[in-house]
Amino acid sequence: MKKIQLASLLIIFVAWALSGCNRNQKKEIVIGVSMLSLQSEFVVNVKDAMEARAKEKNIKLIITDAQLTAEKQVQQVETFISQKVDAIILNPCEVEASSPAVDKAKAAGIPIVNVNSETKSTPNAFVGSRDEEAGEIAMEQLAKLINYSGNVVIMDGNMGQAAQIKRSVGAMNVVAKYPNLKIIAEQTAQWDRAKAMTLMENWIQSYGSKINAVFAQNDEMGMGALQALEQVKLKSKVVLVSVDAIADALQAVKAGRLNATVYQDAKGQGAGAIDIALKLIKKELTDKKEVLIPFKLVTIENVNDFLKK
Amino acid sequence: MNFKKFTSPTHLIENSPGIAKYFKKYGIFIALLFICIILTIATPNFLTLQNMVMVLRQTSINGILAIGVTFVIISGGIDLSLGSVVALTGVAAASFAHPGTHGLIVPLLVGILIGLGIGVINGLIITKGKVAAFIVTLGMMTIARGLALVVSDGRPVSNLSDSFNFIGGGAFLNIPIPILLFAAVIILSSIILNYTKTGRYIYAVGGNENAAKASGINVHSIKMFTYIMCSGLAGLAGIVLASRITTGQPNAGVAYELDAIAAVVIGGTSLSGGAGKIIGTVVGALIIGVINNGLDLLNITSYSQQIIKGLIIIGAVLLDRKN
Repeated sequence: MKKIQLASLLIIFVAWALSGCNRNQKKEIVIGVSMLSLQSEFVVNVKDAMEARAKEKNIKLIITDAQLTAEKQVQQVETFISQKVDAIILNPCEVEASSPAVDKAKAAGIPIVNVNSETKSTPNAFVGSRDEEAGEIAMEQLAKLINYSGNVVIMDGNMGQAAQIKRSVGAMNVVAKYPNLKIIAEQTAQWDRAKAMTLMENWIQSYGSKINAVFAQNDEMGMGALQALEQVKLKSKVVLVSVDAIADALQAVKAGRLNATVYQDAKGQGAGAIDIALKLIKKELTDKKEVLIPFKLVTIENVNDFLKK
Repeated sequence: MNFKKFTSPTHLIENSPGIAKYFKKYGIFIALLFICIILTIATPNFLTLQNMVMVLRQTSINGILAIGVTFVIISGGIDLSLGSVVALTGVAAASFAHPGTHGLIVPLLVGILIGLGIGVINGLIITKGKVAAFIVTLGMMTIARGLALVVSDGRPVSNLSDSFNFIGGGAFLNIPIPILLFAAVIILSSIILNYTKTGRYIYAVGGNENAAKASGINVHSIKMFTYIMCSGLAGLAGIVLASRITTGQPNAGVAYELDAIAAVVIGGTSLSGGAGKIIGTVVGALIIGVINNGLDLLNITSYSQQIIKGLIIIGAVLLDRKN
């Protein structure tokens, strides 16, 4: 089985190499992409970065949206396999439930790259960031801004999602270091701006000026909290840090409204995934490569570097 | 045919005796009062003027949506497209609300007209096309969501003018604008439902469609009216939401229709149509708003919140029905 696949791959390569002089007949490289959800700004940014890099490299992308459903994602990968794409890029919906997609691609001998989040099954390569790092960077900055002492409230993402769990773990690692940091409330606002605004209003009602700092696990929630705080003119007294560096948050950092956000490099992840996939297709790369794209702290001092990106 | 019979669901109450009548009429108010009393005892932060104003403002978006869908449900229909319409109208309005581009009237008109337009489409397919409202509005739910994503290219539409943001964030005589809009919607809707011929016909169509048709009511146009009203108000809610969070979010409003329908049902409107009151819906929306607020004030964990919320909703309706 493996031999046949290898042979067919070889034939495709030879054909591709031979037809290289004739652009019209050239067999172009096709990569199938299954994204977590194209309703999320960050995922859309990763997708855009992939498209841009693919265009540079003359690669054809087939982009599908799994709409947060692992089952749909597995079906999409099955379709890619029957379409005989050259490689698959997977932006997994779930750790466990998206694993069959990885297994099936590997069984079919098609290189698969996971981008942004992980699956239980190991793909040929992983390109992404450690979400724990985002939590650590954000909480470290928050702690510094309140002199490592005070009352903190935490807005969680959707409970149980990998990003929520890992950002919490990272944040809590930092909290454990500083005994004077006290978490007085923790609640989910489901990554949502409107829900975060309501939650922050209710917290202000409960704790008022006792709150010294807010850590929101993403910028959408951070922006909602910001508006609630500004509404009652409390922002000057409360430190607010969130994660993702979306356009709104960068503007808010620049204006001095948001204390800090953490940049997750969508472009780096998207372009990196295409590069790695291309290397796998060309057999320039062996298995189990992990490319970690670091998070970066964004404050008023360096925000201009990120606004340009 | 005598429509007086349909004029209000209270005709049942008027015939029932003494204390039962009292509870039947006020059961849901008592449930709300009960929840408020418990929260007042549980936390000192609940019963303050500031918090009451906040609860009203937090309730106003769901309240406006719930009133819209009350019309549809009384007439015997259902509308599942509300949440997506909120996202679409919010994103569309926001696209015309960047500072220094258009006057405030443009985004407002865009939002409301798109809402009304979707109501026309829903209504036409349901009445002329004779497709079940559940299916039509379920389809519209994904279409409107898709349109919202297309219009916004999957990204939040931000950088909106101060005048647009005033709708959700501003206040007049210290009363937040969303509350004023909510109040205006309550008053207008109550007048339409209680004091106009159209209002009486809506009850008649929901109560017995064939009888209504036989007695010469233009059932199609009455149904059209309810769907247009519903989606138009969803357009208003979309504008208020976008303004409140100062961005048009294509993924906003997910499952808002469920909270709206829950408010209607808690408020005593029957899902089978023919009966219901605006004031009931308002109380239903307030119950949901007060629960959300109270559970946050008490810092109850996210997991338990969902369970408690569900129990209180069912309990409130039980209390109402038992009486």
